[in-house]
Amino acid sequence: MNDLLDRIVLPVAGPDDAAATARALSDRDFGSILALNVIEKAGGAPDKASVEQREAVAEEAFAELEARLGPGADIETQVRYGTDVAETIFDAADDFDATAIVITPRGGSRWVRLLTGDVALSLVTDTDRPVVVLPDVDSADPTGDDGPTDSGGEDE
Amino acid sequence: MSESDQELARDLGFLEAYTIGLGTMIGAGIFVLPSIAAEQAGPASMVSFFAGGMVSLLAALSLSELATGMPKAGGSYYYVNRALGSFFGSIVGWGMWAGLTFASAFYMIGFGQYLFGIGGLGKFIGFLPEGSQIAISAAALVMAAILTGLNYYGVKETGALQNVIVLSLVGLIVAFLGLGALSGPTIEEFNPEGWPAVAATVGTVYVTFIGFEVIATSAEEIKNPSRNLPLAMIAAVVTPTLMYVGVMFVSTGTLTRDALADSDVPVATVAREIFDPLATGVSAIPFVDIGTASIGSFGALLMIVGAVLATVSSANASILSAARVNFAMGRDRILINWLNEVHDRFRTPYRAITATGVITLVLIAVNVGVGTLAEVASFMYLITYALVHVAVIVLRRADPDTYDPAFRIPDLLYPIVPIAGLVACLAILLQMRLIVQAIGGVIVVFGVAWYLLYARERAPSKSLVGEAIAPEPTAIADGEGRYRVVVPVANPETERDLLRLAAASAHAHEDENAEVIAVNVIEVPQQTSLSQDLEFEEERVDRQQELLATARDIAAELDIGLRTRAIVGRETGSVVLDVIEEENADHVLLGWQGRRSRRDHVLGSTIDPVIGRASCDATLVKLGPEDGRGEGDVMVLAGEGPHAPVAARRAGEFVSASDTDSSLTLFNVQEPGDGDEDEQSPEERGEELIATLAERAGIEDASYEARVEVAEDIEESVLDAAAEYDTICVGATRSGPVSQAVFGSLPETVGERTDRTVVMARGPEESAMSVREAIARRLAT
Repeated sequence: MNDLLDRIVLPVAGPDDAAATARALSDRDFGSILALNVIEKAGGAPDKASVEQREAVAEEAFAELEARLGPGADIETQVRYGTDVAETIFDAADDFDATAIVITPRGGSRWVRLLTGDVALSLVTDTDRPVVVLPDVDSADPTGDDGPTDSGGEDE
Repeated sequence: MSESDQELARDLGFLEAYTIGLGTMIGAGIFVLPSIAAEQAGPASMVSFFAGGMVSLLAALSLSELATGMPKAGGSYYYVNRALGSFFGSIVGWGMWAGLTFASAFYMIGFGQYLFGIGGLGKFIGFLPEGSQIAISAAALVMAAILTGLNYYGVKETGALQNVIVLSLVGLIVAFLGLGALSGPTIEEFNPEGWPAVAATVGTVYVTFIGFEVIATSAEEIKNPSRNLPLAMIAAVVTPTLMYVGVMFVSTGTLTRDALADSDVPVATVAREIFDPLATGVSAIPFVDIGTASIGSFGALLMIVGAVLATVSSANASILSAARVNFAMGRDRILINWLNEVHDRFRTPYRAITATGVITLVLIAVNVGVGTLAEVASFMYLITYALVHVAVIVLRRADPDTYDPAFRIPDLLYPIVPIAGLVACLAILLQMRLIVQAIGGVIVVFGVAWYLLYARERAPSKSLVGEAIAPEPTAIADGEGRYRVVVPVANPETERDLLRLAAASAHAHEDENAEVIAVNVIEVPQQTSLSQDLEFEEERVDRQQELLATARDIAAELDIGLRTRAIVGRETGSVVLDVIEEENADHVLLGWQGRRSRRDHVLGSTIDPVIGRASCDATLVKLGPEDGRGEGDVMVLAGEGPHAPVAARRAGEFVSASDTDSSLTLFNVQEPGDGDEDEQSPEERGEELIATLAERAGIEDASYEARVEVAEDIEESVLDAAAEYDTICVGATRSGPVSQAVFGSLPETVGERTDRTVVMARGPEESAMSVREAIARRLAT
């Protein structure tokens, strides 16, 4: 097994993201996974969605990931809360003693990233451990209704 | 989720919770409303603001109790839906949502007025229009669209920015009040329109008070909620109330009523007047030459900036709150969940935000008038808070196990607070303008129609009103906390064994002063009156007396405390349920003949309702051959069902009460494993399960034997094994009294297909009473 993917932290934002990540990971050897969903807190300003609603999304994402990676995968799931998503992911990686953080960026125009905060960029630039960027495989997965058409539409 | 994660979710202290509340409360309304309020009621409108604050204070107390008792997203909607059921849930859900969109539209038009109204920003910047209605609407539309977009894309706002905005608003208003007071406001005629106008104005200005609800919806995120939540709520109501009263005092004291009423930007206009004399003072200093107008303009401009910040942040909070109401409605299946999908990348409930945004835009475009927007928003929230007060009373009376608020309205103020709050809300609603009542009525009717056409089927009403109306069981029970077993008896042949089994259960609770209550019911058909029929039925009464006399004899023999109750009633089932309720029983034990009933019932016309609805432990016994009735070799089906531990406990009670040689076996069947090496073997799995079960049932290690079998067909294996024992105890495999089976198919099959004694058991049922049932019970007592 590749040492780099021995203990990985897998940030998943939602079910679609989890599906893409699972696709990207499917033909690789990997060890233990910490699937992580960070619930971003505004720290005093009103949050965009209630914590409860986002916890439900996290559960969906974990379920999607587990379903796609199959019962054989060694997956631990965790929800964390933080005002800075990248920072929270690093903390989780520390606690998990991860060999790498694995992400699968899925497009998005510069404007959108500028406005909504580019977590992937912060992960790569501020990191203290390997960050593995896997390409989003545009697979011929028959159940994949979450292909690029979907994300392309949201970029505008 | 682990404990520490839960703690992380709570990131709001008192100050943060207070600023969140203040952020939506302060400003928006007070920048726009003074002209409308002054027009309606003159200087006396400050009394209207004060009254609105008091009404909100009552609501804040009730909401604090509900929010700490049920910290769930959705706020008032959630509490009302939980307490009063989905009918009122639909009304309040749609009402709040509509209220928030009307409020957003109101804030946005206020925003437009401060930019392009008469005396607005357009006055100071040459190329911008001033006093143009079209420009006002356009600005409102653009800003509403921008806010919707920002929330759709999840553009990050920080708590720091929020705090800066709130603090600058507080600073601006305090400065306004201070300088205003110094400039010596004079009020000519305090109450020109009379008190009815003042009362009517409460409804208009109430929109400024809907913001503190935000604190309740954040209950799950507040640290130490029992203290911080009520304090933040009360502070977030009291602070703006005082400021509003002060702003009205300064405004009406500085400008004439007509001048104030005509202004689109009342606070800025007043500020100009206040600042002007300052300019004279400054001009008196040699070499400093500032035009009088420029100082006044500076004051006005400051207020315009404040108004812009206030209206935008209030509208922003309203849009987000509306999306949360949608989410909570979707969670309760009152609304399609499609609306609540969270965007995969932006992580926002983008559809709900878009829907709220679009309706807000429509409301701005329709241009019903800024006052009407405010009043409809007030109307919807007054209805909501009226029902919130009712919800507190219902929850206190029904007192469900899950309701344990960290903050309770102090005894001294309960039930005064919710009752006064309810009356106050209704009083304001009643004297609002007809057009407002009509629009609000349409929204309420929409909520009702939605309930009838959509929600009723999908979200079965689980109102607690029934529990609240029903007589309190503790009032009837003697309060000794006795363990009581109710045994309906009808057949002299089985009476003895049933009482003996009930006694076994009672013996196990000897330290709780246990007693057994034998009940016999004479059923009288609907058509005849209860007394009339009895005269002809002396024979039945005699038989009843005989049956219960025998019960007493048996009890004396078994050395158990027994009471008997002879009752005449329509339906044995509901009579037995009443007895269970009245006696505050802990356990009901019934006999079953082992045959399924005809079409209408599963196990029998009495058994179905009693087992299905009794709020305590329920046990159904099919008696097998003599000498093996709850004694001899007793076997427990140790499955994974929720009630298996209850069945094991019953078996343990029987064995320890039995005076013959008895044995106890916990039996478990496992499907053969798929041969995976690292997996537990089926035997190990079964043994582990049995050990856990014994522990949960409180059965000591040495007192039972564990038996695990591996078989493909679980049912057959169970039936084969059952034949080797005298008594088989099995837990219900299902909960809730809805489907075709009362206990679940496996227990019922075992009961039907073995000739042994079969004991089916389940734990307490959590089922809410219907209103009709509750009223019937109340009338019956």
